[in-house]
Amino acid sequence: MAEMQSSNNSFSLRRLSAECIDCLVTLVCWIWFIFGFLLFFSWFYLAAALFRKKTELYFQRLNSYFYAIFFCIVRVTAPRQRMVIDEKIAEIRSSVIVCNHLSYLDPLLLIALFRQQKTIVKSRFFKMPVFGLIIRKSGYLPASSEGQFAAMMIKQMDTMGVYLKSGGNLFIFPEGTRSRDGKIGKLNKGAFKIARMHKRPIYVLKICNTDKLFTPGKFFFNTRVKNEISVTIADCIVPDYHNHPPTIADLELRVRAALGEK
Amino acid sequence: MTRDEFKDKILAILVDDFEFEEPGLEDNLRDDHGFDSIDAIELLGKIELILGFSFTREEKEKAMGIRTINDILDYVEAIQQSRTK
Repeated sequence: MAEMQSSNNSFSLRRLSAECIDCLVTLVCWIWFIFGFLLFFSWFYLAAALFRKKTELYFQRLNSYFYAIFFCIVRVTAPRQRMVIDEKIAEIRSSVIVCNHLSYLDPLLLIALFRQQKTIVKSRFFKMPVFGLIIRKSGYLPASSEGQFAAMMIKQMDTMGVYLKSGGNLFIFPEGTRSRDGKIGKLNKGAFKIARMHKRPIYVLKICNTDKLFTPGKFFFNTRVKNEISVTIADCIVPDYHNHPPTIADLELRVRAALGEK
Repeated sequence: MTRDEFKDKILAILVDDFEFEEPGLEDNLRDDHGFDSIDAIELLGKIELILGFSFTREEKEKAMGIRTINDILDYVEAIQQSRTK
């Protein structure tokens, strides 16, 4: 009986210490988000804002460095998390990138991977005090074009062709929300329309296991389980836009197949 | 260009380029045909080519509120009239 009690106590103690580690890692990441920005990056953002011509580019690069450091912190503080990123991903340029969506970490991971990146962000984030300003200055697109967002959307779409031609990438999570069961949900067609409009290749990326580290609905990172986060190129679609322009349905079907669903 | 001629061109574009099936003049573009803001911007580009001039940013912003094909025709008619004044 006493042995069982002791075993229970040891189990509870182990669980408590593990939860403390999760809490600590999450806290360290939040400290980076707040103080890393305030103490280090805010000055660079401020300087970038002064450049009228290349503000977007400088903001995108700063975002990329900021989140790259964030993932370095995650790797150091949570050594059981392994990250395997296909080396060819860093070479992607001038493309529309579509990706499955499992966790809030996914957009941060893609921002960290691409120095020149734009994406579509939920409109409400544009109204946030500091974050809203950064995503606006970075040239990210609002998900909605209603009311005040119409001008922003038009401005971004007017310059999208030049941006993509200059080597920039546009990454989009066509499901629009995180998948709770790993299955691919209904795909919004915006990414395919933009790719077709500007005659750009579509890269299909597959992200795995970010949800195991930062599970939807949970506040703390789950750093205790051994986990391999991976990003791979599932397909590269280069349609013959001039001679055989694909239908949006064709593109959707191919992306869905690449993401592992028929 | 008359309203009817313009209507025929718009209908042809919506069928050929936007893959609409049997579009009606009073159909809700978004609900009935999945026409979104990206489509609206692409369509504006095609209308600019037909009309031979570019829309201002304010004119484009107004177009984002368009809901039906008849709205498109009214919108273009109003712009053409304001330009000829």
